Amino acid sequence: MRPILLQGHERSLTQIKFNREGDLLFSCSKDSLINVWYTDNGERLGTYDGHNGAVWTIDVDSQSRFLISGSADNTMRLWSVATGKCLFFWEFPTAVKRVAFSEDDDQVVCITEQRMGHQGAVRIFNINRDGDGTQQSQEPVSMFNPIGSKAVVCAFAHRPDLILTGHESGKVALFDAKSGEEVMSNEHAHRDVVTDLQLSPDRTYFITSSKDKSARLHETRTLMVLKTYVTETPLNSAAIAPLKPYVLLGGGQDAMSVTTTSLRQGKFETRFWHKVLEEEVGRVKGHFGPVNTIAVSPKGDCYASGGEDGFVRVHHFDESYFRAKPYGDLEIED
Amino acid sequence: EDAAEESNVSAELIAHRKRLVDEWNAWRLRCKEEVAEEARKRGKKVESVQEKAPQEEKEEIE
Repeated sequence: MRPILLQGHERSLTQIKFNREGDLLFSCSKDSLINVWYTDNGERLGTYDGHNGAVWTIDVDSQSRFLISGSADNTMRLWSVATGKCLFFWEFPTAVKRVAFSEDDDQVVCITEQRMGHQGAVRIFNINRDGDGTQQSQEPVSMFNPIGSKAVVCAFAHRPDLILTGHESGKVALFDAKSGEEVMSNEHAHRDVVTDLQLSPDRTYFITSSKDKSARLHETRTLMVLKTYVTETPLNSAAIAPLKPYVLLGGGQDAMSVTTTSLRQGKFETRFWHKVLEEEVGRVKGHFGPVNTIAVSPKGDCYASGGEDGFVRVHHFDESYFRAKPYGDLEIED
Repeated sequence: EDAAEESNVSAELIAHRKRLVDEWNAWRLRCKEEVAEEARKRGKKVESVQEKAPQEEKEEIE
């Protein structure tokens, strides 16, 4: 499983995302750039140039037509995936920390930061898909300020009228997309800030990672914790592998091995855990700094990690990955 | 003796894993039924699209 190294960012990676077909990989970074790469060979297809600050977050729609991004320059931008042109931008009082498309691509949800007398806010915008994409409304269809601990990650839940959030306190919650009412919460999903939240393909369950050194699998409808994966390091990202019963976790380095870092190969690892049995099955070393973001191709044939070291590493699974049955012949529903 | 004990433990572990997988599979099947049910309610299903289709055609003609 020889990785392809993508070198095109000058600062740490903040988020990476595959398109639905898995042939394109989008990456954003603190260097204010967004890049798109061919997953196959790691060749850079293009860049999305326009943000004037760290790009914290990106998402691509299911047709690979529009890309949405959020930045420390207090804007959210809509881009044409194919041409690289910025089609529209929305300006806010504070930085945009997280963006996500709805399942039908007709809406985006975003979180703006709580800072300088401004409350943290969740806004939902309709995306006008008619024409060339430049005709968008400045006004959100709804906006709310989660009270209590601030929201740091978000996504559309199993139903398009519910917004799933992860919070600084470790809470996860469901909000009514229209009224902004908190309809359900698990205050103690984690004991520290939630760093990532990724849904299963059918959105019936999701994984969260946290600085509390654990990742957890939750049922979306009830927010019940299904599984817990406890590691030795604060976690920055967690992803669900389609087709195989694994979750991928990334974060810092074991305190124990900090002094043993070699110059030739980074020691920061992506950990593979058995999703159902909650047992670690393997690790992949490579990054020279903490793993900030992990994504698995929707086709399940490769994954990528973005590091604090400014590199993206794409790993195509080899045949042994698909053959491997680390815990016998138990058939596991995806 | 040690070997016997070990095989006992692993039998327990295997049973434990099987239980976890069975629970998971049962839950996944329930989820999939619920998703299908939701889709039916929202009219995503092919049948309901076909039911609506004649009306839509009329509207276009007018």
